[in-house]
Amino acid sequence: MGQARVLAVVETTGGEARPASLELFGAGRTLADRLGGELVALVVGSGVQMVAELAGALGADRVLVADDPALGEPVAARAARAVEAAISAADPELVLLPATTLGRDVAPLLAGRLRAAHLVNCTRIEIDDEAVVATRPVYQDKLLTTVRAPRGRRVFITVRSGAFAAPEPQASRLVPVEPLAVSFTEADRLVTVTRLVEKPKGQTNLESAPIVVVGGRGVGSAENFRLVEELAAAIDGAVGCTRAVSDLGWRPHYEQIGQTGKNVRPKLYLGVGVSGAVQHTVGMRGSDTIVVINRDPNAPLVKMADFAIIGDLFEIVPRLAKRLREVRGKA
Amino acid sequence: MKIAVLVKQVPDPNAIRYDRRLGDLVPGTPQATNEYDLYAVEAALRLKEQVGEAEVVVASVGTARETLNRCLAMGADRAVAIEGPSLPGDSLVTATVLAAWLRREAPDLIWAGQETSDAGTGNVGPQVAALLDIPLVSNVVGWEYQDGILTLEREIEDGHQFQQVRPPALLCALSALDEPRLPTLRGIMEARRKPSERLAPADLGLSDDDLAPVVSWGGLFVEEEAAAGVVLQDVDPDQAVEQLIAFLQERRLI
Repeated sequence: MGQARVLAVVETTGGEARPASLELFGAGRTLADRLGGELVALVVGSGVQMVAELAGALGADRVLVADDPALGEPVAARAARAVEAAISAADPELVLLPATTLGRDVAPLLAGRLRAAHLVNCTRIEIDDEAVVATRPVYQDKLLTTVRAPRGRRVFITVRSGAFAAPEPQASRLVPVEPLAVSFTEADRLVTVTRLVEKPKGQTNLESAPIVVVGGRGVGSAENFRLVEELAAAIDGAVGCTRAVSDLGWRPHYEQIGQTGKNVRPKLYLGVGVSGAVQHTVGMRGSDTIVVINRDPNAPLVKMADFAIIGDLFEIVPRLAKRLREVRGKA
Repeated sequence: MKIAVLVKQVPDPNAIRYDRRLGDLVPGTPQATNEYDLYAVEAALRLKEQVGEAEVVVASVGTARETLNRCLAMGADRAVAIEGPSLPGDSLVTATVLAAWLRREAPDLIWAGQETSDAGTGNVGPQVAALLDIPLVSNVVGWEYQDGILTLEREIEDGHQFQQVRPPALLCALSALDEPRLPTLRGIMEARRKPSERLAPADLGLSDDDLAPVVSWGGLFVEEEAAAGVVLQDVDPDQAVEQLIAFLQERRLI
């Protein structure tokens, strides 16, 4: 067995991996190869055997499974104890966690306890002989900086959602899966969870749809979303929206894309009246092709776009829907 | 009951501008109190009002005179500024300094903002909790205190999670909590007479080792968006739509 260099912490919810956890394998495989060691996955949750297999298929060389009813709900102290046990078992140089609310509790808890570095919410990670160097957004995502932690001591890294692509699973890849026993202390049990009020999930295939049509505040009203729906129907896309739109009650929360909503990586993202606040773009950054229809040429989303039309969406969207129906033989 | 609130003075997020030549913020950017921290102060003041007998102490690492004065004017009872040439350092240094001070104060409850608007690591709260070995409850958007037990409502990916804990604990505030009160004129007058303490790391028994950062920062920069795509401006709508259709066909998206 090779030496563990990278530990990827796979967070789960309801027995399934959070998408941001799977993206760790995109970053983790490259880092482990660069360090010439193993990529070890730790799956944390309750009833997560399937996720353990997935971790192998995604590129882990070895999978540890902390499967415990106490880990079935996100509580920082308990998850931290599981990660600590995996660190003892694998002795990794780098510990990767998703930059979720839980990951961003667990990483600094352990970094504090072990007096180690925590590079936060990273979008790029590089290693040279002296240091781990990462890029991360600062000043509420308005600017970027690089942060360095010296090699030779353990480094925690939380990885920003959408910064790396999850690899394609290779079902034929069989790797050792080992249960990991976690002993909780009295202190870990001081916080109890009394209930969870879930966000309505809704019936939408937003996350898997190859084409997503998104309406922003610029659409103007709940009624006007008829245009967005029409456009989505004409191109066989799923409808999504920004946080402003769901906060205003124009669309249901389950259609929201971004930081507190869903992450999408469609082949085509078509944004209508979306300016592209960072809270939204973190959830769609990985889209293959980005098309934008917006009135403001300086909107951040226009700068990200492969194709942008600057103009009045009420003039453009109905014409586009009509032409799409004609071209696709649905007229 | 003693409630400590950890606050930070930051460049005003609404006023920051980037200087490409300096690779830094434009010099002289106005300062402000970190927004989440004001929500933390408000929560502490409301808890004090609920329980009656309580002291609210605000503390900051690094220069924060205006911020601490504002917290006193809002109603905090006492302020502590911890300053030194190596401060504020990285988040672990800040947390180490705060933990040393908190050990001395032994508050029943600690509130902090979820993260700051400048570095935004969100590390300090959890790291202080780790160093003091007390429970952490982050992303708090609502709270209740009854019979010695705190019920905290948290906003997480799955929805709103409710956690319970008996103090001591460290709580990290989000801005969905009660709106921070504005200082009244009377509050501002009274603030001048409230105790305000200045400490150096040495006063807390901290050594140079304790103050050595583990993370260093490079300069600030902006990402040049790479797409460099087609931008149609002042193009007739019909023509623009035709060009978009051609683009989508070329990329085999329709």
